[in-house]
Amino acid sequence: MRVITMRVITKRVIAETGAVAALMLFASLMGVAQQSHIGNLVGNAKSGKALYQRYCIFCHGANGDGNGDSAPYIDPKPRDFTKATYKCRSTPSGSLPLDSDLYDTITRGVHASGMPSWRPLLRQERADLVAYVKSFSSRFQEEPAVAAVSLPPQTPTSPESVKRGGELFRSMNCWLCHGNDGRGNGPSASSLTDSKGYALKPFDLSSGTTLKCGDSDQGILRDLITGLDGTPMPSFSSALKPDQMWDLVHYLATLREAAKHHTAVAAVEPKSE
Amino acid sequence: MKVKYVAFALAAFLGALVAGDWLPRVVPVAADSASVSVSGVVKFQGAVLPPTKIDMSTDPNCMKAHPSPGTTEDVVVGANGVLEDAVVYVSGGLEGHAFTPPAEPVVLEQKGCTYKPHVIALQANQKLNVVNGDSTTHNIHPSPANNREWNMTQPPGVPLEESFAREEIAIPVKCNIHPWMRGYVAVFKHPFFAVTGKDGSFELKNLPAGNYTVTVWHGKLGTQSQQVTVAAGQPAKLDFVFKQ
Amino acid sequence: MTPEQSGVGYKSVSKIISIIRGGLENMSKQFGFASVNGMGALLLLAVVMTAVSPARAIPAFARKYGLPCSACHEAWPMLNNFGQTFKDNGYQLGNGRDAPIDQRPEYWPIAFRLTPQWHRESNSRMAVDQVPGNGGSGQVETSVTRYGFDTSFIDLLTAGTLSKNISFFVQPFIGTGGTFLSQAWVRFDNLAQSRWLNLKVGKFVLDEPISQERVLTLSNIGGEYYNYFFTPPGDHNFNGIGGSQLGAELSGHSQNDYTRYAVATFSQYPSQTFNVYAHITQAFEIPRLGLQRAGVFGYLGEAPTYFQTSGGAVINGAGLGNRSYYRAGAYGMWYVGKFDFETLYQHGQDNVFLGNSVPANQPGSLPLGAAGPSWNGGFVEAHYLQSPRLVLIGRYELVRMSRQASPQFPTDAGNLDTWTAGYRWYPIMNPRAGLAWVQEFSRILNAGQAPLTGRNGINSSLLMGFDFDF
Repeated sequence: MRVITMRVITKRVIAETGAVAALMLFASLMGVAQQSHIGNLVGNAKSGKALYQRYCIFCHGANGDGNGDSAPYIDPKPRDFTKATYKCRSTPSGSLPLDSDLYDTITRGVHASGMPSWRPLLRQERADLVAYVKSFSSRFQEEPAVAAVSLPPQTPTSPESVKRGGELFRSMNCWLCHGNDGRGNGPSASSLTDSKGYALKPFDLSSGTTLKCGDSDQGILRDLITGLDGTPMPSFSSALKPDQMWDLVHYLATLREAAKHHTAVAAVEPKSE
Repeated sequence: MKVKYVAFALAAFLGALVAGDWLPRVVPVAADSASVSVSGVVKFQGAVLPPTKIDMSTDPNCMKAHPSPGTTEDVVVGANGVLEDAVVYVSGGLEGHAFTPPAEPVVLEQKGCTYKPHVIALQANQKLNVVNGDSTTHNIHPSPANNREWNMTQPPGVPLEESFAREEIAIPVKCNIHPWMRGYVAVFKHPFFAVTGKDGSFELKNLPAGNYTVTVWHGKLGTQSQQVTVAAGQPAKLDFVFKQ
Repeated sequence: MTPEQSGVGYKSVSKIISIIRGGLENMSKQFGFASVNGMGALLLLAVVMTAVSPARAIPAFARKYGLPCSACHEAWPMLNNFGQTFKDNGYQLGNGRDAPIDQRPEYWPIAFRLTPQWHRESNSRMAVDQVPGNGGSGQVETSVTRYGFDTSFIDLLTAGTLSKNISFFVQPFIGTGGTFLSQAWVRFDNLAQSRWLNLKVGKFVLDEPISQERVLTLSNIGGEYYNYFFTPPGDHNFNGIGGSQLGAELSGHSQNDYTRYAVATFSQYPSQTFNVYAHITQAFEIPRLGLQRAGVFGYLGEAPTYFQTSGGAVINGAGLGNRSYYRAGAYGMWYVGKFDFETLYQHGQDNVFLGNSVPANQPGSLPLGAAGPSWNGGFVEAHYLQSPRLVLIGRYELVRMSRQASPQFPTDAGNLDTWTAGYRWYPIMNPRAGLAWVQEFSRILNAGQAPLTGRNGINSSLLMGFDFDF
């Protein structure tokens, strides 16, 4: 056994202090190698990077800031991953998305935008892409994980529910952007911009087109609770009770039906108070 | 044996951080004879465009609250050229200090379909109470560059409490439903800031003695900075003039 | 000698160098891969005949959607699963932006491809006149070598959607043989809102097991899949899976395209023949390795053996004496990380009359011991995809006659063995256009095909050139 001399101790202390310091500095700068967890899948950012360069880079840019070569010719603009502000989430407004939210968006695509459905990619590939996309923003390391919002159980539709929903469509001022028939032509519609300042239109609720974050009733309800961050569509989590949200969802369904069958919508007339 | 060395190295490293002032110290903010204030007036020299009238007719409830049309608040200049809604704050000289935010919230009110005040300032992680005193639903939507972006609908009378974690001067806030509603939220790491009122005056209270950079920010006119040395017992005076 | 000193050609050489340099910069930007020296890789010399390979990388789609070539293509023109799904969906991404009305008015769905090249070809046993220019001087078998620059064909491609769920593809081919329509079809996609029902009508390439449209090689020798075009000695039935057919195809696929089927009926001649082709395939994931695919296919056709005539001249299309032939096989596409292998097996058989080119109304003209020729063949093709911008290719293909049409043919007549190796490097690959630098070498051994001696013929080809796709 070697005799430990003072010199040796000092050298070792210096070496290990340096190593620990470097490691701490490095860890704080780089963060843990980014991973994603979706169900049983574990994605890693290193594999995701190669996939990103094959599939995503021309729209979303080498720095993930949405400034790819194709971006000037695309409307709406590709997502800026460095801000970590996402439309389609299961988390409260202002919060980071879940890994599964990003995975679902990659799989589903975003309708009426340049983002295609990447379902033909392997599930592992999509999970790897989620990990790499997260690595563009340090928020995923700095902010604590947020739980998904709970979706209240669906209430049955009824003429009364639809009527209440119509009144809420009025009192919550949905009509100011979405218009009286939900066609996206409300008085404030032309002034709307996304958080980058690009003009965008409110969704035409009467069109029957696929909604950007998914079409199911649960999906629409979730949109009401979480809001679509980065757009003028706010969260109604502080504004409406669960029953009221379902009333609104039932009313929105009638807007789609009305357009499909060309029937007159039970138009909610402006009330003067 | 190895563990001991690593632990010693870690302790030495952290000790060095603290001793070398790399970890922030918490400085209690208390009025004492050694702390003074910096005060002054912010003025504007030049031609001011008359404010544009706002058309609130899209929402009958806003019309009712504004029998005469409201006006935009981009550059509000009072008598003698005093500038309202300028944010004056210490931008340099406080390095290495950390400040806990006060427990009392700051209140931003939506009244008459406008933001009152037009420009509000608070500390990072200080509570912001948003109040809807109107009879119509608003949504409150900050567009930060350095903070999380959120967007909440607020019906009349429903309370809403938020906060911002990082310093940002200043975050534009808008209501998407009522597109003329525009305001600013300035968020600071420290308590040494003030927003000028109708008289254009400001006072930064309880500053410890030292050298500081004081900056004024205005939503449309930009920023200006000045150096000031604050000595114990000698309040400093500082004026800013925006020229057009 | 530097480009500056060489004088003539300096501008073009420096232009090529700057393209490649720009491509290298792009490549290191996109893939951090800056260590390939394209010019330095000129070790393989390639000889090429003008290729008749159908071109299927369509930058018009890249322009339409802002996606790079690499999104749909492993290494263009080879499709990956995303691109194959896009194609099976009727050239639609399904994000509400597919129909022409959704495009900017200045978007025009046109692309073109051409492959200017330098090639060298060598045929080991050709029959040449002993005295050049004197047809009566008798012939000898000798090897003939030809080389030089070539411009190749121009493939114009226009493809996309005419409206939602109606897709089209028109491909005029402009080559040394003339200009004609390689493909021209319309497809009604997602009938009854189902992705399992798509109807294609027109002139189209069959939904081949390993599509010749994704072939990465350009040379005429070893550039295509011989098995798709093989015709045994003595047989003039030049039909097979390769080439465009005129007919209708019903196809379908699962949502992620793992399961696919296609059934086509078509006529080889504008006459009373009945031909049918079917193909079914299933893909499956192997964790950590990638997506694997296997499938089976079959082709049953008939061809006339003689025609009605009038005044001794054939009435075009009035075929008689139809006799049948078939092809059938199985294949797989196997992925192991950056490597992938394609394996194909095909069995073919032609009727005895077709095999001996004898009209069916003259059975007496059949040689003694005539039989319907049958053969087995296949290939193994391997790729190494270093990055979406560099792919190495190697292929071995063979055909073995199992029964000759006539005893007069040696048992191995018609057998062939082909080796092909090459690489493609893509300095430019963006949503507007693409450029590849290609080098290939191929060698084919044709058993018993030497024209005079009946010995084995060995042909080889060396190709080097650009594959330009706009």
